[in-house]
Amino acid sequence: MVFPKTIDFWGNFVFEGGDSMKVQEYVAKRILSKHGLRVPKSIFVTSYSEETEEGLLRLGFPLVLKSQVLVGGRMKAGGVLFAHTLEEAREGVEHLLAKSIKGEIPEGVLVEELIEHDEEWYISLSVDRTLRDILFIFSKSGGVDIEEVSTREPEKVIKTTEITDLPKIVQPIAKTLLEVFLEYDLTLLEINPIGVSNGVLYVLDAVFHVDDNALFRQSWVKKSSEEHFVRLDGDVGVIGCGAGIVMATIDVLKELGFEPANFYDIGGGASREELLKALNTVCSFSNVVVLNIFGGITDTLEVAKGIVEFSKSNPQIRLFVRLSGTHEDEAREYLLENGISCTSDMKHLVEELLNWRSGKVGENRVLQTR
Amino acid sequence: MLEYGTNIVCGVSKNVSVREVHGVPVYNSLRNFVEQHGEVSTAIFFVPSQHIFEAFEDALLAGVEKFVIITEHVPIHDTLEMVRAVRRERKVLIGPNCPGVIYPQERLKIGIMPEKYFKPGEFAIISRSGTLMYEMAKILSEGPGLGLCLGLGGDPIVGTNVAEAFEIVKEHGFEKVLIIGEIGGEDEVRGVEHALKIGFRPENIYAFFAGRHAPEGKRMGHAGAIVEGEKGKVWYKERAMIQMGVKVVRLPWELERMVI
Repeated sequence: MVFPKTIDFWGNFVFEGGDSMKVQEYVAKRILSKHGLRVPKSIFVTSYSEETEEGLLRLGFPLVLKSQVLVGGRMKAGGVLFAHTLEEAREGVEHLLAKSIKGEIPEGVLVEELIEHDEEWYISLSVDRTLRDILFIFSKSGGVDIEEVSTREPEKVIKTTEITDLPKIVQPIAKTLLEVFLEYDLTLLEINPIGVSNGVLYVLDAVFHVDDNALFRQSWVKKSSEEHFVRLDGDVGVIGCGAGIVMATIDVLKELGFEPANFYDIGGGASREELLKALNTVCSFSNVVVLNIFGGITDTLEVAKGIVEFSKSNPQIRLFVRLSGTHEDEAREYLLENGISCTSDMKHLVEELLNWRSGKVGENRVLQTR
Repeated sequence: MLEYGTNIVCGVSKNVSVREVHGVPVYNSLRNFVEQHGEVSTAIFFVPSQHIFEAFEDALLAGVEKFVIITEHVPIHDTLEMVRAVRRERKVLIGPNCPGVIYPQERLKIGIMPEKYFKPGEFAIISRSGTLMYEMAKILSEGPGLGLCLGLGGDPIVGTNVAEAFEIVKEHGFEKVLIIGEIGGEDEVRGVEHALKIGFRPENIYAFFAGRHAPEGKRMGHAGAIVEGEKGKVWYKERAMIQMGVKVVRLPWELERMVI
């Protein structure tokens, strides 16, 4: 018996365009069922009750119990159980409800009738960034070994932007999946496996990722947090305006032997408040912060005001500032008036850091070490 | 943009209370303007992401040929539709989520970049990052200067990819190009492969990548900059560039002495 597993290994095959919101399996299956695809009969349990027992009896046995978590590798982590009796089901459900899978507590447990099947197929839709189109990937060798198949026997995997390239038997399901993919603004839709039972196709597992940029029109999804901040292992805080410049700053710091503590992108056109928020976040784990601001749409004077305000309440935090762009002359003057030096290019910013590291005291700032 | 010299003929806004900005008339639909006043070749978009597609359609129906979308967070399916439309009609879309285009030789700025750092000269820039484009432009401005600069945008799906950007740069007669890429996707490598096919010499191409030290599995900012397989990694791209004879810039200010 092969069990459903979600796979996320395709690298350049299945690239998800954009930041995405993951969706629970039971939600995805509901949607697919609404669109006419066959899913196992099921109940969704958030706490075991009399109603749950009735539901279980109605479903019959054997049953599959699946922890509803968004992390991958659920199977291996013990998130899928089987039950042949009511007692096993009750124990299993209660166990899974309390079990954290890779640090995540499940939203609930999806209990499904076990569908006996002879074959497992794989199908996914994703946004391919090179082709700039929607890519279908299909294989009749689906299931847990799909990873192996793609490497060892690539001829068994079809990758195409045309539904007509897929085997006729799977085209209707592919058409429905495409409709769902578009209607729900998905960046990834993966069914692994499609269980084939006497020629009937069942969706045994479903992974949906929703485009973060489309949440305004997909109200059924819970909003995720912004990813402008990533904590890293080091001790030098990094803030910049634009992902590219922040990444480049992190790269440069590492090349010079510093250890960045984080990535923080305040984006274009950031206000003084946003800058303050960034500084306050970063100083909670870092005494040294590098700010690399090259503003087009960002007003560097606004940034300077945020820096001064922060510095007044946090004089112990060592700031290395680079400001270039809109209003840079006024911004630099303002900083100088408030005793904060800043450079106008990355090279000088780096020199300041190197000087500081080799023990020299920076202009106008008193060095505080931990 | 007006100050720089761009010929902005009208603005479009659904906000009916705004009828004029800096002497430029504002209409609530581009089609209305075009019906009365004739062709408009290019449109730059700042509308919020949820309305970009609608604004794009208006401009498309009004006969616009070149679209520059500054706005970020445009839904990926809307971008895919727009890409399909411009491919079908053989038009040009730059962006979304980009700083735009600047052409110092013609005093043309369709974007938000600080023009002070784009002194006219030899180097075209093709960039996936907005702020890094400014960074490198500043460095080149103190040396050989800039030609046509295209900010392609940071999203994983963009209207003009690096290969297409090289075609545009070639059309405008620039031979020296700096490409600025990031971790994620294969666009820069494929773009340079194409550039060499259409006549660019590898010794005239310089490449700078950000995200060399992005850790596995962590997304850092740009939707597109996510680690996804070997080909998306900076070391892979840099190696491919070197193999093609392209010069790789590791620290931004190194570019200065490399281009002498």
